Amino acid sequence: MGVVIGYIATLGVYFCIYNIFAFGLNIQFGYTGILDFTVITFMAVGGYLAGVAALGPEQPGTDIYYVLGLSLPWPVALLIGAAAAGAVGYLIGLIALRRLRSDYLAIVTLAAGSIVYGIVGNDTRLFDGFEGLVGVPQPLSGVLNLNPNDYTVVFLALCAVIMAVCWFLANRLYKSPLGRTMRAIREDLEVAEAYGKRTFRVRMSAMVIGSIYVGIGGVLTIWFVTSLAPAGWGTGETFVVWAALIVGGRGNNLGAVVGSFLVAVLFNEATRFLPAISSLPNLIPEIRNICIGGLVILTLWFRPQGVVAERKARFFVVPLQHGTVAGSAAAEVAVSGD
Amino acid sequence: MATETDDFAPATAVTPTDGLLVVAGLARRFGGVQALDGCSFAVEEGTITALIGPNGAGKTTLVNVVAGAIRPDSGRVYFAGQDITARPSHQIALRGLIRTFQLSREYPQLTVLENLMVSPQRQVGERLSVALLRPGRYRAQERAYLERAVQILDDFGLYGQRDEYAKNLSGGQKRLLELARAVMAGPRLLILDEPMAGINPALVDRLSAHMLRLRAEMSITFLMVEHNLDVVERLCDHVVVMAVGRTLATGTMAELRQNASVVTAYLTGGVADVRAES
Repeated sequence: MGVVIGYIATLGVYFCIYNIFAFGLNIQFGYTGILDFTVITFMAVGGYLAGVAALGPEQPGTDIYYVLGLSLPWPVALLIGAAAAGAVGYLIGLIALRRLRSDYLAIVTLAAGSIVYGIVGNDTRLFDGFEGLVGVPQPLSGVLNLNPNDYTVVFLALCAVIMAVCWFLANRLYKSPLGRTMRAIREDLEVAEAYGKRTFRVRMSAMVIGSIYVGIGGVLTIWFVTSLAPAGWGTGETFVVWAALIVGGRGNNLGAVVGSFLVAVLFNEATRFLPAISSLPNLIPEIRNICIGGLVILTLWFRPQGVVAERKARFFVVPLQHGTVAGSAAAEVAVSGD
Repeated sequence: MATETDDFAPATAVTPTDGLLVVAGLARRFGGVQALDGCSFAVEEGTITALIGPNGAGKTTLVNVVAGAIRPDSGRVYFAGQDITARPSHQIALRGLIRTFQLSREYPQLTVLENLMVSPQRQVGERLSVALLRPGRYRAQERAYLERAVQILDDFGLYGQRDEYAKNLSGGQKRLLELARAVMAGPRLLILDEPMAGINPALVDRLSAHMLRLRAEMSITFLMVEHNLDVVERLCDHVVVMAVGRTLATGTMAELRQNASVVTAYLTGGVADVRAES
């Protein structure tokens, strides 16, 4: 029984984490139209920085090297991870957003992600290179002293709370005038600029907020897995998040949730638990990728807006008020003249 | 500078206070094409000024330079007495100079009402902290904008389409939306790039009526690029004629009809003539 609960809780944790990734990408791409092809880099930055903030100082003689090692409590580590991801998002945004439009911007993000990957992998002093960080302390595990399955349930609750806060704030942003301006920029950057919108600044806000979201997801990932190495955040992982958002429906946080469930949980994570064929160790991951790719193609072909389409903005009903709104006396004339 | 010496020679020396918008000696080259070549004129406040000229005269380039979308190689642009040359587009827009584009460029995937709601500048709810943490602080402003937006939509006969995606409007409705959206921004000067191109005569009349109404009610000054000389004659107080990147002549339509070089430029393209004379 405990194993089944642990299994379901594990899927739940991944569901929450992918939701947060997808919200982050949705703010960047779905709201603002930024083609961020290096989503997973922000996850890695968030995870690594939270990891080295929570780990103790590196021990001489263990051949494990990393920077910082501050032994900080987990909430502080979460903030550090999120802030670091936001800072990297800002730096990439400085290069990518100032002059470049969609496709070139996408190439720059991809290149920036490769640079980060190369540096982290090869400079072993940062986060122990391709070996990666291991033994990252889990929040509250020392206090609670639960068996792994029970701890997973507690961790799921933590993830669910963080995910709910992220969802709430992302929806709030979407409905706000700032979110509306982001969507206008997505539709036509040049026109929004001509209407007095500071498009660079607004797009940078979306870039940084999205990066912080993905960074928070990265922190949760390293807490859950307790380790993080470059093999876990290859470029391919970026496209799992993209697939989730495209299948679910971009510009729409409910779509991000549905997409995360379909792609990240049903296809990606659930297949990990299928029985492996020992002679073909790569079979299951490849089947997973084939399924995700096929799902994206089917979505783009038959339902390009995604399973849950972006909904129209609804405004509270304002009756036409002839005679009370400024200038409406003339408006009345115009109406009766029509 | 153009050396046209007819009765309607362009003012070669304009000063920043000659009008709401003053363009002084603008030049801009694209590769081998001198799109603007010392163009100067003024748009007086409260007028509807037309900018006419053959294709390739540099009208759209001029609009782009004035609105900050393209940097000029030389020359100055003054708006309300201030030098706005080569300022970023959004800064120029914040001063009250709004331009529309040659083809309708609505925000397709936003509703008609949202297209208008984007326009007001410096909205409280566009600040990140307010948007995320204090949504109550923008509600009152949002409601005021909403009341204004539905009123403007009603004025333009688009109230019934307010919750439709802008991409689903007809071509004519998109033109109206373009103008309505610009009005929502509360401009002092509205630059319209061929607002009447490709629309039926009835809609031309409606758009014209709207422009006259907006000038009267909201004191908006207009500069419009236009090819339809009937419209120009009926609507515009003042006409600026451009050819090969220069101001060829300025005046009322009646005056310009008497100007041989204008007729030549407009009817034949006039490139060879103007170049030969300069």
